[in-house]
Amino acid sequence: MVRELVPVLAAVGLGLGLAVSTAAQERTPNDPRLFNPGQLTVATGDPVFPPWMLNDDPAGGEGFENGLVYALAAEMGFAPEDVVWVRESFEQSIAPGPKSYDFAIQQISVTEARSEVVTFSSVYYQPDKAVVALPDSPVVGASSFEELRQARWGATVGTTDLDYLENILGISNVAVYDDQAGVFQAMQGDLIDATVVALPTALFVTAVQVPEAKITALLPPDENDRGHGLLFEKDNPLVDWVNEALAAVIERGVVEDLTQTYLVGDEVIPEIRE
Amino acid sequence: MEGEPPLGSPWSTALGDPPPPAQKTLSLQERWIPLGISVVSVAVVFGSLACLVGSSEQWPRIQRQFFNGSAMLEAFPAVLRGFWTNLAVWGVVLCCIAVWALVLAVFRSLSGPWFAPLRLFTVVYIDLFRGLPALLLVLLFGFGIPALQIPGLPRTSLFWAGTAMVLSYSAYAAEVYRSGMEAVHEGQRAAAKALGLSQWQTLRYAIVPQAVRNVLPALLNLAVALQKDVALLSVVGVRDAVREAQIYTARTFNYSSLVAAALLFLVTSIPLARFTDTIARRDRDRRLQRTL
Repeated sequence: MVRELVPVLAAVGLGLGLAVSTAAQERTPNDPRLFNPGQLTVATGDPVFPPWMLNDDPAGGEGFENGLVYALAAEMGFAPEDVVWVRESFEQSIAPGPKSYDFAIQQISVTEARSEVVTFSSVYYQPDKAVVALPDSPVVGASSFEELRQARWGATVGTTDLDYLENILGISNVAVYDDQAGVFQAMQGDLIDATVVALPTALFVTAVQVPEAKITALLPPDENDRGHGLLFEKDNPLVDWVNEALAAVIERGVVEDLTQTYLVGDEVIPEIRE
Repeated sequence: MEGEPPLGSPWSTALGDPPPPAQKTLSLQERWIPLGISVVSVAVVFGSLACLVGSSEQWPRIQRQFFNGSAMLEAFPAVLRGFWTNLAVWGVVLCCIAVWALVLAVFRSLSGPWFAPLRLFTVVYIDLFRGLPALLLVLLFGFGIPALQIPGLPRTSLFWAGTAMVLSYSAYAAEVYRSGMEAVHEGQRAAAKALGLSQWQTLRYAIVPQAVRNVLPALLNLAVALQKDVALLSVVGVRDAVREAQIYTARTFNYSSLVAAALLFLVTSIPLARFTDTIARRDRDRRLQRTL
């Protein structure tokens, strides 16, 4: 009788042990809920741009967003070499269906509507918006939204820049391009007068990509745009763990340091408030 | 099968005459059974497809993300506004193509040594513009030419991207016209010559009208294809239906706006397809000299 029970007990014991060990592995690099246990799989754009990531090389660790990811991975217990980067377009990273990564980072803005389809981490950065234009543009020297509305505007599809132009500045006929290169191509071809981008992007564009363009004004934030967050598959169980690590990283001043290193300019730019 | 079968034919059996041909009337059974089979098979095939899709555990989420009525309604005004742009561009571009492609086809069909440069130009033109992806042309023209800032020329991306579409599609349409012209019987040319018509008059009165009638279905087919390719203009900043749908999708991560745009395209292209069928059928009836 006892002898017959032994295998049963053993099985029960084994099952309990497995359950315990699985639970014990949660919130460690071998967490079974990870896309690839043992690795932190992070998706980002292709290509990636400074100052968010330098040299189109996420694994290089130079840049605001990949710097943040490596700090976050260390906080979660991953060695730097355990961070695996997946490159995909913005369209691919928001496509429905199972995701091939743990989370995506690509200056993705957290909004109410998007939260119904995917899950976001807490916000890690809230950039200002900046007006970028060529020196002979009519928006240079503008001091009110009313004056800005006289210009021809362009923006990139899929960004909150377009929403900002339509909702905050009240511009209805914004030309929409596939990517930032198209926007600046149109600007240099005198098809549009100006665009709005996040200030860090604006700093980089005016310093490196299109040196003849300049930042003509800073704009007030949009309440509906809560800032950048990490993007997870809807209801991904890792979110709480990542959010705690993110909070700890922000607490330590890592984001502040990265901001000072990568995202600030030193020139004084006029602000337009209304 | 009339009269006596010849000797040695399989019909000359001991039974004598061959069996009479079957009656042409269908019994109720014969009429309804095939219909029943069709209905049942359609129901089974599409029913099982619906079950397969509907039983997937992801289906409710896909339904929310792709076939969400409220999202479609929300996106619809913008998508419709973009769709008017599509239709307007399509109409203008189509008229330009109809004319320019015919000019190209005529150039190519001219005979005589004086017209050699024109023929050469057309051959090179068609090879070039048929060999390049329309998207590339739209990008090069839509961004490149306005950036040149040539005085006196229009500077909008819309104009130059539309021009790129005209140049590209005309190469295809010219070949369609040409095949129609070559299908006109050689006797027509000879007859025109016999009447003393010049080369131009022959083309104008004999060849081209028949050629156009011959290839009208093929041209309408190109028109349907063009209607959808107008969406390419979105790469140079034109906000057409597809782009407006993309904007909504990017804003909300909900794809229902794309389905709404798809429905709009179908609403216009399906009647056009039926019209093409009708034209083709009337044309066939005319050529086979059937009377109604």
